[in-house]
Amino acid sequence: MSDASVAAKPLERGSGMPKMTDGVSWTASLFVAPAVILLGIFLLYPTISTIILSFENGLDNYIRLFTRDPNFFDVRSFPPTGAFWNNVLWVIFYTGGCVFFGLLIAVMAARVRYEAFIKAIVFLPQAIAATALGVIWRFVYFQQPKTGLLNAGLGVFNIDPIAWLGSATWVNTSLIVAGIWGSVGFATVILSAALKGISTEILEAARVDGARESQIFWRILVPMLSLPISVVAVTLIINVVKLFDLIFVMTKGGPGSSSRTIAFTMYQEALASRNFDYGAAVAVVMLVVLLPVMIYNVRRFRAEKVVQ
Amino acid sequence: MTALEAPVLAPPRTFSERVMRVVNKAPVHIALALVALVWLLPTVGLLITSVRPRSEIQASGWWTVFGGNIDFTIANYQAVLDQQNMLSAFINSVSIVVPSTILPLLIASMAAYGFAWVKFPFRETLFLGVIAMLLIPAQMTFIPLSQLIRETGTGGSFLPIWLIHTAFALPFGIFLLRNFFITLPKDLIEAARIDGAGNVDIFRRIVIPLSVPALASYAIFQFLWTWNDLLMALVFAPRDGQPMTVQITKLLGTYASEWYLLAAASFLVMVVPLIVFFSLQRFFVQGLLAGSVK
Amino acid sequence: MTRFRMVAPIAVLALMLTACPASTTSNSPGASGGAGSSGASGATIEVTSLWGGAEAEAFQAVLDAFTADTGINVTYTSQRDEYSTVLSNRIEQGDPPDVAIIPGIGFLRSFAKDDLLIPLADLGLDTSALADAYAPNLSDMGVSVGTVNDVPLAIMVKLNSKSTIWYDPSRFSENGWETPSDWDGLVALTDQIKSDGATPWALGASDSWTLTDWFESIYLRQAGEEAYDTLFSADGDWTDQSVKDAIATMTEILNDDNVAGGIDGALATAFVDGIGLVFSTDPTAEMYYEGGFVGGIATGDVNDALVSGETIDFFDFPEIDGSGSKITVGGDVMAAFTNEPGVAEFMQYLASADAGKAWVAGGTIISPMAGVESGDYPEAVQKEATQIVESDLARFDGSDLLPGGPDLGTVLQTAIQDPGAVDGALSDFQTQVDDAWAELNG
Repeated sequence: MSDASVAAKPLERGSGMPKMTDGVSWTASLFVAPAVILLGIFLLYPTISTIILSFENGLDNYIRLFTRDPNFFDVRSFPPTGAFWNNVLWVIFYTGGCVFFGLLIAVMAARVRYEAFIKAIVFLPQAIAATALGVIWRFVYFQQPKTGLLNAGLGVFNIDPIAWLGSATWVNTSLIVAGIWGSVGFATVILSAALKGISTEILEAARVDGARESQIFWRILVPMLSLPISVVAVTLIINVVKLFDLIFVMTKGGPGSSSRTIAFTMYQEALASRNFDYGAAVAVVMLVVLLPVMIYNVRRFRAEKVVQ
Repeated sequence: MTALEAPVLAPPRTFSERVMRVVNKAPVHIALALVALVWLLPTVGLLITSVRPRSEIQASGWWTVFGGNIDFTIANYQAVLDQQNMLSAFINSVSIVVPSTILPLLIASMAAYGFAWVKFPFRETLFLGVIAMLLIPAQMTFIPLSQLIRETGTGGSFLPIWLIHTAFALPFGIFLLRNFFITLPKDLIEAARIDGAGNVDIFRRIVIPLSVPALASYAIFQFLWTWNDLLMALVFAPRDGQPMTVQITKLLGTYASEWYLLAAASFLVMVVPLIVFFSLQRFFVQGLLAGSVK
Repeated sequence: MTRFRMVAPIAVLALMLTACPASTTSNSPGASGGAGSSGASGATIEVTSLWGGAEAEAFQAVLDAFTADTGINVTYTSQRDEYSTVLSNRIEQGDPPDVAIIPGIGFLRSFAKDDLLIPLADLGLDTSALADAYAPNLSDMGVSVGTVNDVPLAIMVKLNSKSTIWYDPSRFSENGWETPSDWDGLVALTDQIKSDGATPWALGASDSWTLTDWFESIYLRQAGEEAYDTLFSADGDWTDQSVKDAIATMTEILNDDNVAGGIDGALATAFVDGIGLVFSTDPTAEMYYEGGFVGGIATGDVNDALVSGETIDFFDFPEIDGSGSKITVGGDVMAAFTNEPGVAEFMQYLASADAGKAWVAGGTIISPMAGVESGDYPEAVQKEATQIVESDLARFDGSDLLPGGPDLGTVLQTAIQDPGAVDGALSDFQTQVDDAWAELNG
């Protein structure tokens, strides 16, 4: 879930550090050693090894990925298509949707007595497996209006049933909506907590000056919450880059290849088709996409240390 | 404790109290009712579907039960448990999840103590490395780790998936726990040192007992993460040890989309996380806040 | 970071030392064995395939007969979903089954490329004798389809016709619809059903292989077997006009007007759900094209009230422009990943009429072996068996011959959804399939 995105508590500076009164530092390394060994074997070594594998044929895997594999990257039409661009769609709409609805629900819920209840309901999908979430939404998206909730609902308004997961036009929207449904709770809980930290005087003053509620929302709340919003957004973006389960359960990347994501492509190429070096290149693309976030995290950690 | 508590800094006159007086709340109530509906309906639909007979599921939507079409059965659950190996898949899930939660809890808390309270060479470099590793996607490791499993002859056993789950849980765990540990009172630990307590004693007698909430949050996260995991299990779980998430995807497989089984099976896989969620919601939310917002 | 580099190799070593005893399966090929007749009695081998349900029961009968004959025990592992991924993972992680059915010759080649299969000759099997065990019109397929770079690696053990169009005879006779004998007749029948107010076709195209079967059936009949053989080899030209013609022919039937739920709906419909559209208790379409196995699934899983010949039957996929009785078949090949005692005996047994007879009794497959007579089959599948034996010419499912990775089915999904995009999709596919062939052969 939110295994990343973390604002670091600063390290204690040297002066504040407990003095090493009780002997040599190798006892200390014993505390850290198991973790370091496991990370070395299971994360660092495989990462380096996968990077090397992806260059087995020089740059060819990457050239193929970005010039000869329209299922991955196709910019010949507008809007562009392929797994990579689907991920871009996800980043924009899933992240944006989660933050927007998360904030909206947090603000609204703060005004009622049953706030905890609303937040619990919205947060619930966070606890359940993406596998189950996918099944839940496949039931919602059934094409037959007699069994599909959404098309039955649209039928009330005389709208013809839509094959939500079978139409190349609708499939990504449908998946993203299911994804937002699953993750809004995360944004709501975090932003709701941050909201409670905003001084009421500021809001009060704005109201005295005659600001409307929508102005308060966009001009005061959103800017004041920019840090928690960015933290939520970064977490969600990381989720998107790693997105696999939902696609696997709901569409297996189809129809055609129209709902594939980068992570799904890696699974398909390396594991299902045994194109290991090609799949390795896809994994490296995932890593490269995440690299800015990684650098940002490390930088922020360092910066906070200096500020101290 | 401060790090894990929601940053509730508002004075008695909270934002919500203010707003209550100012705004007419009717639209808010309507909007929130809508929100509750949208978030409850799909899940309720799954639950109802799971107790409807197979023929009914094909013929009509679950909402028709509210129109008097009430015909419930537990046959779907029986079928899932008896024929679809869901019971053994449940046991497999437990077999994977329990060690994959305890191991990282132990190893991450030790490392977090090391990073927080003991000085040793390369400490900061190593810690930056851990932060960087937060983001390594699992996909980076599939191919080399498969090879490693082959070379060590551990294929077909639970060992690989335990260790891999553990390793992938460490960066977040070390991070979360270290941030908690450094907020522990320094005087307490230094006093213990002066009294001659070693690192092991301090860790066991002071740090761990004082950190139960943080440890609980991390354990719950890791438990849910591994319980809900599909990808790692698809790749690394032994062939006769596949957990419930994988078993469910088989019902979606090439030869059948058995919706009556899928509904029941999906609900079964949700039960344990829902129990954990409702009984330990406090720790869960605290952990989320501590991991995300300073 | 320097710490990690120093620690990792040592740690790997430590893990190897501690973990070795945990290994339970011996996986060194060639440890012992060979084709000695009874020497392996008492041994246990593991066989894996993707068959479940009725198909698994039918196969289990073969295994039981084998055990009764030889005293060699067989553990059967069924993996219905993600079979190729799971199989590949098991092999990569050093835990291979002894014998596995391999879905797709492209997949077989990828294993062969990494030297993971035990060649039939190394098992001590006589490959020319094996080839003679097949029925005459299939003998050039039986072993050769599992031969990679002139090394026989796998044998075809079962097949199904992919030239069967399923319908409900009772509904046809009620409405006065006649089964057609050529393509124009099929199109006319489609129009007639439509004008009678019914939906002619169901299509389970979210499983894209159903579309490749459509394409192959048409291409073989329309472009001929030579073009077919070339197309599904490394020399295939997917931008050729014959490919576009076949797709155009396909969309005469597979379009929004003829298919239940429209094309978008069909693309969200799985293979089995498509069967349900024609054969459930509440049918919404009249015809379903897929292989001979549809009959067993329809009666077994979809609607057990169906009666073969009365409420469910098939007619032959019709000839196109006087093509004659050419059929495509889907077959499964079996290959060995180890040479444990009992493996050679098992492979040898599968290529026998005895195994074929035990297997076909379950009513789910057709045996390619000579000596399996029409009377050995349950009544419901005799017609399919006869169709295969009496066909002038049979070709192996072409998409199963292509290398893994690029998916022809995906191209065809695009083609039926957006016929204007066919040319572009095909030239893209050509690029991808060239890369995949190069990867496989280079």
